[in-house]
Amino acid sequence: MLKLAWRNLWRNYTRTFIIGSAIAFSYAMMLVSLGINSDSHGKLRDAAEVAAGGNVLIHSEGFWESQASDLVLQNPTELIDQARAIPGVAELIPRILINGLVSSSRGNEPAHIRGILPDKERLLSDVSTNLIAGEFLGDTYPSPIVLSQNLVEKLKIELGDKVVLTASTPDGEVTRALFHLDGIIKSGVAGEAGSIAYTTLAAASAAVQMQDRISQIGVLAAPGFTPEMLAKNLKQTLPTGTSDALEILTWEQAIPEMKGLLEFDQAFGYIYLFVIFVIVLLAIANTFLMAVMERVREYGLLDAIGLTPGRIGQLVVWEAALLGAMAIVVGFVVALILHLIIAHVGIDLASLGADDVEMAGVGLSDMVIRSRFEADRWFFGGACVFVIVMISALYPALRAMRLAPAQAMRFYE
Amino acid sequence: MTIEKADKPLIRVRGVRRTYMQGTVEVHALRGVDLDIYPGEFSALAGPSGSGKTTLLNMIGCLDEPSAGQIFIGPDEVTHLNRTAGAEYRLKHVGFIFQAYNLIPVLTAWENAEFVLLLQGVGEAERRRILDPLFERVGLADYKHRKPHEMSGGQQQRVAIVRAIAPSPRVVLADEPTANLDSATSTSLLDLMVELNREQGVTFLFSSHDALVLERASRIVSLDSGLIVNDTAHPNIRQPETVP
Repeated sequence: MLKLAWRNLWRNYTRTFIIGSAIAFSYAMMLVSLGINSDSHGKLRDAAEVAAGGNVLIHSEGFWESQASDLVLQNPTELIDQARAIPGVAELIPRILINGLVSSSRGNEPAHIRGILPDKERLLSDVSTNLIAGEFLGDTYPSPIVLSQNLVEKLKIELGDKVVLTASTPDGEVTRALFHLDGIIKSGVAGEAGSIAYTTLAAASAAVQMQDRISQIGVLAAPGFTPEMLAKNLKQTLPTGTSDALEILTWEQAIPEMKGLLEFDQAFGYIYLFVIFVIVLLAIANTFLMAVMERVREYGLLDAIGLTPGRIGQLVVWEAALLGAMAIVVGFVVALILHLIIAHVGIDLASLGADDVEMAGVGLSDMVIRSRFEADRWFFGGACVFVIVMISALYPALRAMRLAPAQAMRFYE
Repeated sequence: MTIEKADKPLIRVRGVRRTYMQGTVEVHALRGVDLDIYPGEFSALAGPSGSGKTTLLNMIGCLDEPSAGQIFIGPDEVTHLNRTAGAEYRLKHVGFIFQAYNLIPVLTAWENAEFVLLLQGVGEAERRRILDPLFERVGLADYKHRKPHEMSGGQQQRVAIVRAIAPSPRVVLADEPTANLDSATSTSLLDLMVELNREQGVTFLFSSHDALVLERASRIVSLDSGLIVNDTAHPNIRQPETVP
């Protein structure tokens, strides 16, 4: 039966080649799209975590929503010591976040200033790689500030120039502090990401009189811990829900737009694949049906010499299985080659015009999309394609089974 | 070789009718046929086109179902076997030779002939033991590995004969087997079947209006408009035979 099915497959080389190529091409495109999708989603998640400030964020209750200067973490040292012992915590990054007005002699601009410990911050993301001029929070000035190119151009200042930050203290007083422009980073992205500025934790603390208080702790998860697991562990140990309660958010809770966007993109991808598969299914079914109708007399002959209808159906199904298996192998090889090329060369979004694009507040300017091989998804995809091919062969097989032998033998091609 | 006359019919057809619709017209292909075929017979169903001979052959081969009546092959009633049971019955007990398109085009002569044996689960050594002498017997020992399109019509029919008799069926049903052949090829092919009938006791039932077939048949059953109008046996020419 297998031999007969195999030879039947090669009766019409052109047809087998065309339909086999269609299956192989669809499968290859599916795998490449899965690979790119997987990598881009991973990078968007990473970028979103960087934009949020960690896998999990700890603030004073209500800070993330209101960004109010009075909602601060009162005893950060104690909190950090306590959090360090919690399973899943790899690193804790303290920050002071200030929303204020940066002024130069030639202008004023709103800015989001992050007071950071550069060495700690580097564990999440090395912002200094975006430096295009000056230093990244060096020792030259007591109160250094690094601004985006966007802000520098608007304020019309140069390295070493003074800027004044006007912001609120935790006690509700408006205060002003002097900074020196220490470095310029490329802004690259539009909107909020372009108004971010960096200073040291100490300078920020002094500027808005935080004393020992901070605004945020970014928490990095240890390998094997998801943000959800980490947040759960933190919530179980740290005080939440009381008057001096903490707010513990995963990055997905902090940037829900990004989560929704990724889910939408994934759902859209599945719908797209579903439509492609339905088209492929109908094309294969049509081709197999044509092949069956071309061989009506032959099925009649097989029936007459003792092949049961069930085995005639099996013959058609075997043909589909062999074609599907061959096409999947070819498709896999093609996809693997494309995957290796894309994984090596990458797709630079900036070169595609995404240098001024952000998604849900996350900049895409530096993103080079590559392909990521995920064995389980690729093999699952292969299994899906095989199942589709087999489903498409069912109706033609049923038609072959239902051919009445006496009528089939009278059928002339 | 000891030859003795069989006295119980191998095939019994009783009151078989076959009616079908052609558009809105009711066609009576068989109008009540009674027939006995004995083991070892070399018989022919004769008659003009549309007389019902192929329909009757299809009924006996379980390729079609009668509208009324009964058909027995040996002790088994095969009148209303379902598709699967019919195919299994043919596999074990009936050999078929058709007018044309007898072979599976993608298989070689040998593979075509061994196909039925394979379906029966006959092992490779046994298949060789059965088929080698048959290929020798029909003069196709050097054509085993040829595909149907590499052989003449007569050679293809010989392969079909090998395939039909290889599993030792109770009866070989041959529907116009010489219709597409020239007379020399037809003569040679029919002589081969006559010899197989004599030597191996294979029961042949033909459907044909070819004079070459009819002059070799031991019995001619003539049909017209779905009825048997004549049944002429020639016991002196050749007796129904069985091989012990």
